[in-house]
Amino acid sequence: MTHADTRARYDELVQPERVHGSLYTSPEVFADELARIWYSTWVYVGHVSEVAKPNDYVRKAIGPQDVIMSRSADGEVHLLLNRCAHRGNLVCEAAAGNSSSFRCAYHGWTYRNSGELVGYPFHQGYGGRGKLDLGLGRVPRVAVHQGFVFGSFAPDGPSLAEHLGDAAGEIDRLVRLSPEGEIELTAGWLQHRARANWKLLAENETDGYHPQFVHASIFSVAESGIGALYGEKSSAVTRAFGHGHSENDLRPEFRRLGAPLGWFGTTEERMPGYVAAMRAAHGEAAQEILVEGAPHVMIFPNLFIAEIQMFTIQPLAHDVTVQHVTAVQLKGAPEMNRRMLQQCVGSVGPAGLLLADDTEMYERNQVGLGELRPEWVDVRRGSHREHVDERGHTVGGATDETAMRGFWAHYRELMTR
Amino acid sequence: MGGGVGDGVVGNEFADVAVRVDTTANSPRLRLEDLRTGRVRFLDALELETLVWLPEGHLVQLLDPSADRWSGA
Ligand code: FES
Ligand SMILES: [Fe+2]
Repeated sequence: MTHADTRARYDELVQPERVHGSLYTSPEVFADELARIWYSTWVYVGHVSEVAKPNDYVRKAIGPQDVIMSRSADGEVHLLLNRCAHRGNLVCEAAAGNSSSFRCAYHGWTYRNSGELVGYPFHQGYGGRGKLDLGLGRVPRVAVHQGFVFGSFAPDGPSLAEHLGDAAGEIDRLVRLSPEGEIELTAGWLQHRARANWKLLAENETDGYHPQFVHASIFSVAESGIGALYGEKSSAVTRAFGHGHSENDLRPEFRRLGAPLGWFGTTEERMPGYVAAMRAAHGEAAQEILVEGAPHVMIFPNLFIAEIQMFTIQPLAHDVTVQHVTAVQLKGAPEMNRRMLQQCVGSVGPAGLLLADDTEMYERNQVGLGELRPEWVDVRRGSHREHVDERGHTVGGATDETAMRGFWAHYRELMTR
Repeated sequence: MGGGVGDGVVGNEFADVAVRVDTTANSPRLRLEDLRTGRVRFLDALELETLVWLPEGHLVQLLDPSADRWSGA
């Protein structure tokens, strides 16, 4: 099919209140998505705290692409492709390390951790030393917001700031929960593989309609008030930021309750050191920050910040997705960090209840979508009661599919360009 | 952080360098501290291996006081 043909096809398959089931099940669609979304737009890759020291590196990914995030001795962060310029061997095998240079295991070609070729063995075979001008591939654009490192395979296009738009403010809201104004992703990563299309995960992250059903058991076991945040009577809202980003904005409910750290299921008395540090750092503003809590935001296409934990969505095939999970750690907040880690393990760890519940739904959904009839997926919920807020973003009720419609509108734009 | 098993000082009448395996980065590094100036250098495994294989002559070149440290440039 020509590009024009597929453009017309996506125009037809993505409609304002319904999308076609084949978008989740077709390998051809997945191949188009890699080209038009994952290798074109900004994708979250890693956090600077994962390469804290000079010469640190970690292996990351942009979809199926294996990316080395390194920090050279001069402090700059690089996104390199894990592919030797000689005959394409993997250059880094370990998940993380510290080295000024990388040496390919196959024929010993050696690269600086900023990607330049240092040299190759038996140089006479190339006519001498310094004859080759080959380096590691790199992600053409790298940009950082509050320590969050994003990469784009498109050499030009919208800047990261333009891509993030007002969703950047949600990252800022997370970071200001640290008394030192920085987060650290140093708790280690869990990886959960799901037999499901990546879009099911992305859509679910801010789907406020499912929690009361899917997570009923963990809410009751934990005697948590979270379920009530996602109901018809909740004053929480779902917001589409544009560019496919969305949030469940739970602040109206937390403000109504007015309890510092209520969003975290704890109290000021149990976190005295943290609360004191926050009041010292932020003065009057601390009260509001402590009451409003952390964001619940999905940054298109792969970064999900769920209050106390962070996910990255990595698509590997039309029906295989890996969800990488870590506990958020706030710099200068050891009391909070211990609890964040415990809660993260309890909810999305190997034996955690929350992610297991969701994964069951992704996989059932994927199987169901493979059925031939009916062909369409319905995403109309709440479209009659949306409004546009003062910043120009579409806002729906706590349980409405406003976020999904925002996701699909952006998807359609990218897929029909 | 404190000392480890391999800590020590390599010193003589010309120089004193504290040697320690540092584990604060993503993999271990050798931390070298010139005790006379306080200057610190980290060497990763690949750099160390390179030093092991450096021919005597190259090392002597590096020891030339005008090679780097007092190059006069
Ligand atoms: S493939 Fe890497 S050195 Fe040959
Ligand atoms: Fe869920």
